[in-house]
Amino acid sequence: MTPTATETAAETATGTATGTAAAPHTSAIIATDRLSFTYAAGTRPALDDINLQVAAGDFVGIIGPSGAGKSTLAAALSGVIPHYWKGSFYGAVRVDGRDSCEQSLTDISRTVATVFQDIEAQMVAAIVEDEVLFGLENFGVPKADIPGRVTDALDLVGIADLRRRTISSLSGGQRQKVALAAALALRPRVLLLDEPTSELDPASSVQIFETLQRLNREQGITVIVIEQKIMLLCAYARTLGVMDGGRLVHHGPVRTVLEHIEDLETRGVNAPRVTTFTHALRRAVGAGLPLTVTVDETESALRRAFSGAANDTTHNTQGERDVYAPL
Amino acid sequence: MAGLLDYTDGSSVLHRLNPLTKLVLAFAVCVAAFVTGNLWYLAALLAFSLGLGFVGGIGRVALRLLWTLVRVCAFLFVLQLLFIRAGTPIWLFVTDVGVATAARVSLRLMDATMPLVLLLSVTQASDLSGALVKVARLPYRYAFTLMTALRFIPVFTGEMAHIIQAQTARGVPFDTKNPLRRVSLILPLCVPLLVSSVGRIDQAAISAEARGFYLRRRDSGYKDYPFAVRDGVALLVAAALIAAAVLVR
Repeated sequence: MTPTATETAAETATGTATGTAAAPHTSAIIATDRLSFTYAAGTRPALDDINLQVAAGDFVGIIGPSGAGKSTLAAALSGVIPHYWKGSFYGAVRVDGRDSCEQSLTDISRTVATVFQDIEAQMVAAIVEDEVLFGLENFGVPKADIPGRVTDALDLVGIADLRRRTISSLSGGQRQKVALAAALALRPRVLLLDEPTSELDPASSVQIFETLQRLNREQGITVIVIEQKIMLLCAYARTLGVMDGGRLVHHGPVRTVLEHIEDLETRGVNAPRVTTFTHALRRAVGAGLPLTVTVDETESALRRAFSGAANDTTHNTQGERDVYAPL
Repeated sequence: MAGLLDYTDGSSVLHRLNPLTKLVLAFAVCVAAFVTGNLWYLAALLAFSLGLGFVGGIGRVALRLLWTLVRVCAFLFVLQLLFIRAGTPIWLFVTDVGVATAARVSLRLMDATMPLVLLLSVTQASDLSGALVKVARLPYRYAFTLMTALRFIPVFTGEMAHIIQAQTARGVPFDTKNPLRRVSLILPLCVPLLVSSVGRIDQAAISAEARGFYLRRRDSGYKDYPFAVRDGVALLVAAALIAAAVLVR
């Protein structure tokens, strides 16, 4: 399938993204330029004038209510739109500096490994090991490297013991891990995941995000995660995008986006409970208390506030990442 | 519980045979069944297929499959008795030719179905496609199509079973003893199942392409499928089955 149109929409409204400017970023590994998309059977745009720049090495979380266009955005970033899904496509998506319309899905997949939302449907093999092997064989990874790549990928997501199991015998959560392992084995520059923890228990969800964070920090893999669990995104992502009605309504560093907590709540996106708590406390006692994201961070902030050291805001940096512990 | 065509893991001699050898063996039984008209030999072929199941450690699967086929073939058997009028009547409308032909058709159907299903149950679809590409030089996209078809058969039968369970839980009498009523209840479910199946296949195609499907070359497969002595023995057995069928027909 070919794109229906690739011209830039002339009259679409400017996005209201919080942090990032609309102009393409030179170091962006993925960038959208006034991206709009309406499904062939749709009447209103699923994506509406999206300007998103993902810097190489960033860890980006995308959140939003159901029907906000998150999965459509994932499809556009991965090249499925415009190469597979029909509709009216305006604007541009640039993957590693090249327009996605000018690259095949295979070309894009050399840069971006995608884990789609429908895990069952994307499995192509019957055995876990074969599922991980599939991409490695296709991309012509040297045979000597393949066993190590498979083992590493399975170890990273904690399913080394499932290597010989049939996929049909796995739980939904285990299948999600298999899909993630298959993507990780390709060692992509960008990892794009559409709700990778939707069927996982809290402990496994944390394990997946810990893995993603490690890959992001140690190997410099750019991670883009579409996720409904705001606590996880806030604890692990550096940049947060909020979608609503097909638009990217907020985009920027996590804490900058969370400053719009009241607007987020009206859009059906709840901030982490500790953030809601510190926000309420800040309104009640004044602006001295920083907006916090994690439990440990909140505890420290409160101790400082009540011991008269509330003005010390050095802890409120992106460098800190405390343990994810839902309240 | 493993369904029809679900792979059953194991280390039996059947599991270790080259996938192409298994395919040849299965087709040899089919060919033998259609070459011969000898009822005893057809029954022996059925026993051979059942034996394959036990050798492969899937005896229960083989028996379950046989029971399913027996029920289907019983229906066919009766139809044949009803419609074949040639020969000498031996009881009411039943003729001797009718009985022989009905038995032959039923046994052939079972002989043609059993070995292929059983051997696919001890062969991973990816190994089968890998061997077809590397050894039989089949283009990868055709082998992948075959692999995908085999992989999705149990997925769709499982999905149908889930739909039926859900409908039964909501009071639809799928547990009725009347087969015609049951069929009339199942038929309307085929359309949504077909629609969801097409969507799922489409997603699988996207997923495959997003993982470099079109870059695949014949030699990029990780596994090799060499022929061993046991494969030679199995191929000799296959040849012997066809030769014997020719001799006793």
